[in-house]
Amino acid sequence: MIWLVWRQHRLQALFAVLGLAVLAAFLVPTSLQMRHAFDRAGLDDCLPKASRVQVVQTGPGGPGQDNDLVAACKERADRFTSRFGYLGNVGVLLWFLPLLAGLFWGAPLVARELEHGTHRLVWTQGVSRTRWALAKFGLVGGGVVLLAAGFALLVTWWRLPLDQAAGRQYLSPGPIYDLIGPVPIGYALFAVALGVLAGALTRRTQAAMAVTLVGFLVTRIVVEFMVRPNLLSPARRIFPVAGTTMPNELVRDWIVRAGVYSATGRRLDGGTLGAYSSQYCGPQLSGKCDAGQGVGTYNQELFFSSDRIWLVQGIETALFVALAVLLLLAAVQWIRRRRLA
Amino acid sequence: MTAALETTGLGKRYRRTWALRDCTLAVPEGRVAALVGPNGAGKTTLLHLAVGLLGPTTGAIRLLGQPSGGAGLLERVGFVAQDAPLYRDFTAADLLTLGRKLNRRFDDQLARERLRQLGIPLDRRVGSLSGGQHAQVALVLALAKRPELLLLDEPLASLDPLARREFLQTLMGSVAEQGATVVLSSHLLADLERVCDYLIVLSHAQVQVLGVVDELLEQHRLLVGPYREQPFPIPGVAQVVRSSHTERQASLLVRTNGPINDPAWRVREVSLEDLVLAYLADPSAGTLPGPLAHADRLEVQA
Repeated sequence: MIWLVWRQHRLQALFAVLGLAVLAAFLVPTSLQMRHAFDRAGLDDCLPKASRVQVVQTGPGGPGQDNDLVAACKERADRFTSRFGYLGNVGVLLWFLPLLAGLFWGAPLVARELEHGTHRLVWTQGVSRTRWALAKFGLVGGGVVLLAAGFALLVTWWRLPLDQAAGRQYLSPGPIYDLIGPVPIGYALFAVALGVLAGALTRRTQAAMAVTLVGFLVTRIVVEFMVRPNLLSPARRIFPVAGTTMPNELVRDWIVRAGVYSATGRRLDGGTLGAYSSQYCGPQLSGKCDAGQGVGTYNQELFFSSDRIWLVQGIETALFVALAVLLLLAAVQWIRRRRLA
Repeated sequence: MTAALETTGLGKRYRRTWALRDCTLAVPEGRVAALVGPNGAGKTTLLHLAVGLLGPTTGAIRLLGQPSGGAGLLERVGFVAQDAPLYRDFTAADLLTLGRKLNRRFDDQLARERLRQLGIPLDRRVGSLSGGQHAQVALVLALAKRPELLLLDEPLASLDPLARREFLQTLMGSVAEQGATVVLSSHLLADLERVCDYLIVLSHAQVQVLGVVDELLEQHRLLVGPYREQPFPIPGVAQVVRSSHTERQASLLVRTNGPINDPAWRVREVSLEDLVLAYLADPSAGTLPGPLAHADRLEVQA
């Protein structure tokens, strides 16, 4: 079976490895370029120190030593970000790669056999259908995990300077969260598994691709907005709208929700799914800041700190891997039980 | 005598329509059986049920004494599906590797030798072979399993006459060597008449004729005689399968149960094709010599 799976998918594997190599040929030099500029700007030196400061003073509150450090580093980081931010935008295209794996590897895996009738050849040999399915899904799934892991490592490494300079990020919708760490592995495996099951059920590659496309997007959106923020309980931070302090934006927190609340706790702005809002005004409420908000309004942020985010990512990855395994087992069961003449 | 393929009350329903119904038959070991019937009669359904690609709605099917779907059974059964599906981007050599890896007793040497005799290159993708060669590769792949039972679904349908002959030569040569039981389906009996010694006629999802070809031919006669308005019994005729007449003359295809000595009738032997066509033309002509009658005879022979 191993030979057969390799023989059937070696071209795909070759193209995937080549694709990864082409991607690396673009990502490695640009990352090195970024890293060089990062170091030259002194960000490697100032960011670790500056991001240890949690709160900075705003307005004429008497700038301290920390404040100067953060302000200087932030200026350099902003310059770096405005120079290389376009790469980050290009990188968002990589968001689609796990989906492509599902569409072009997952969906045809069983559907093509059924379409071409070759299942009648391979299912009437000495190897049982169950073994055929387990070997095929296991090996292809393993290959997908390896490739996705290579991809995830590469992109995480590539983006690192950008992400360090950017400081705080938003959890969802989070094109950045979706690209780094282990989650792309979970997404890719899930997409492939969805394609496999859809192919077994619909028996048509195109139909399976359509189901995969819709199913993947729906699942991703549901998880991104409704599950991910609740995977762990986030930390909470409150600070006044009108005051002399605000959170240091260079701290690499992952903001789950941020909003402006009145003194009575009524939400005035932001604070819902995907809607982030905060206001930092001087010590006196005035002008725009004053409009309709009154005394005692405050900002509230729910966030995961940069070390906790990996736990969130780990749980989300495990969730998608578990979903993928369930889908694949369902496909095995379907192939075993149903007689797909 | 055991049956290589045996079904009892086998039925398969797709939603509301029965593709195969109440099918009870047995193909004795060592026979080359023709599975004949018009398109949609249930031939493919029967073969797919046999190899477990379909599950029966009713009844049971046994191959080589084992229930269909039994462990290791498919290693002993060769099957070529309709249109002989092969991985088109595989070379013939790749397909032999597939056969070897997926079957414990795959005879690689036999397969290579056959392909060499047939002049089929091992290193070309089977997608680029002619229809005849494609079918031959599929057959060789099935034969190399050294099957005890070989099931071929419409193996000749897409072949030209020359390729048909070559295909049947390969088949019969191997069968003679290996002593396998063969079931070949076709909607054209003429293709199989020369090679088969056992006949299964399916019509409208049911078995209509079943038996050893020689016995069937022996039991049926064509009678030509005077036409009369009122049918009358003829001694020795068990059943009139089909009758046609002009103003004066009637011709009857009959099943006999004894010698026909009535001088009014000229008695002729029938060809297998006439026999099958007579039954197919009238599906109500009876399931004859019925599966049950046949089972009786099997016991007597045993």
